[in-house]
Amino acid sequence: MGSLIKNKPYLWFILPGFILYSIFIIYPIFSAAELSLFHSNGFGSKTFVGLENYRELFTNPELKRQFFNALKNNLILVVLNVGLLIPIQLYFAYVIYTRVKGYRFFQTMIFAPQFITTSVIVFLATLVFDQNIGIFNELLVKIGLGDHVRNWLGVPGYELVTLFLINAWAGVGFSMIYFVAAMKMLSDEVMEASYLDGAGYWRRFFLIIIPQIRASIVNIAVISYIAAMTTFDFSYLLGGTSGGIGNKMDVMTLFFYRITFGTNGAMGGSVSSNSVGMGTTIACVMFAIIFLVALLQLKLSYRKEDH
Amino acid sequence: MADTKRLYLTKVVLWIYSCFTLLILGYLVWNSFRSKQDVLTNTIGWPREFTFDSYAAVFRDDHFGTNILNSVFILAATLLITVILSSMVAYGLGRYKFKFKQGVMMYFLVGLMFPIQLGVVPVFLIIKNLDLINSPWSVILVLSAGLSMPVLLLTNFFSGLPEALAESARLEGAGEWRIFYRIMFPLASPVIVSLCIVLSVSVWNQFFLPLILLQDEAVKTIPLAVMKYTSNILLSMDKALATSVLATVPILLLFFLFSERIISGVASGSVKE
Repeated sequence: MGSLIKNKPYLWFILPGFILYSIFIIYPIFSAAELSLFHSNGFGSKTFVGLENYRELFTNPELKRQFFNALKNNLILVVLNVGLLIPIQLYFAYVIYTRVKGYRFFQTMIFAPQFITTSVIVFLATLVFDQNIGIFNELLVKIGLGDHVRNWLGVPGYELVTLFLINAWAGVGFSMIYFVAAMKMLSDEVMEASYLDGAGYWRRFFLIIIPQIRASIVNIAVISYIAAMTTFDFSYLLGGTSGGIGNKMDVMTLFFYRITFGTNGAMGGSVSSNSVGMGTTIACVMFAIIFLVALLQLKLSYRKEDH
Repeated sequence: MADTKRLYLTKVVLWIYSCFTLLILGYLVWNSFRSKQDVLTNTIGWPREFTFDSYAAVFRDDHFGTNILNSVFILAATLLITVILSSMVAYGLGRYKFKFKQGVMMYFLVGLMFPIQLGVVPVFLIIKNLDLINSPWSVILVLSAGLSMPVLLLTNFFSGLPEALAESARLEGAGEWRIFYRIMFPLASPVIVSLCIVLSVSVWNQFFLPLILLQDEAVKTIPLAVMKYTSNILLSMDKALATSVLATVPILLLFFLFSERIISGVASGSVKE
């Protein structure tokens, strides 16, 4: 052993982290793939069933409906986050980068909700937009618009928009800071040259800044795609384990949680005899979808970089 | 730059956003000093009385004091373990040449691609077998195992340090371990500070893992305890308000005090990827 320490010191640096990482990050991935081939609830015996769980997920009408409903909701959130929120974050970042008056204050205020935990964020939304105790409804009554009083957190047909808006208010700051940092790394000469050329505020944004931080934008797009595909907290906090009335706020992670840990939370309530088998099956399908699209996104962007 | 003077609409939007955030936090704090009856029946009226009852109640009748300690303990232990393990791994990868180094590096990066939900069932089963359900160590172990991002960040840093530093110490007879913790590790402190800021936010706000691994009221973390009160507002509006203030205001005050430092830490922590 003594010579091993002398000759291969790196082993002793790497080993402790390697073991912990292997047990709790790498092993569970393979174990999940394996468990998805069994009929099992994690206790007692498990039976090998091959791909039966996958077949059941896509043929059982109720499971299939819930899965595709959740997937659809995730995809809508992806479109809203990547198509709407990222452009806003980019623009805010540019405004802060160009040091609009009060930019330090704006930057701090926009980043602040990062430090508010999700359960408090949902509670704050309740304080403002709830049917009975929300101040928004009270204000509507005070200014004579009492007819419009309603539960703003669950307007039929707009459940996902609510989910997105709460998420946007709380999450706009993180990627914005990332974009500001990316813009600050651009060389001053390019900016000054374009400034002297007479390129206007908007021209510089679209023709100089955006093309130069394209790699950062793709990076954030992939991260926010993954985040929107795996979102859980807001759906769970607003809609409970069912994801709201008629599963309107349901997402894949919540569907997974419901099947694996039952409707009354972990360990309690109604858990099926195949909770672990079906739960890991959903997790694997979810991962396959996320991984393929993320890979495609990265590949497409790198091809563009080459030209 | 002169031409930012004209962005009237943008400035209005930014002011509305910023003031909205401040107002709603102010409203939260203000209401936490009112009685439950007053808040529920007289939502925006002038308060009938000011009271600290809600705050007393969450500590007296409930475990909120313990919930705070749990969150603090989980954060501190996770940061400590993650920083120690990831800087050791990164040092091994960044400073030594050996066979399969690229392979080991890739192995540590793979974790970035997998969402936590994929492996959570096996993790739950492992934790159950270790008899750690309802122990803060369950959350600490799983969160500390997420070494991919810290290792990536620190490996880039360590591999960029000049070899001469280690060489002169080696000539003076210092061992490899001593060179690491007396010379190299202190040099990494700016990177480690950024890392700790980014990790703190995600560990402190972690919701999914504690929800699954911590089920006893007494071992829950702050986000879960707050949820217990906010999920039934008519019953526990007062406690929901008090715990939300306690969960939010101290952290935000710290953030406002050190915002420049924290924001630049987050920015440098993410751009160096």
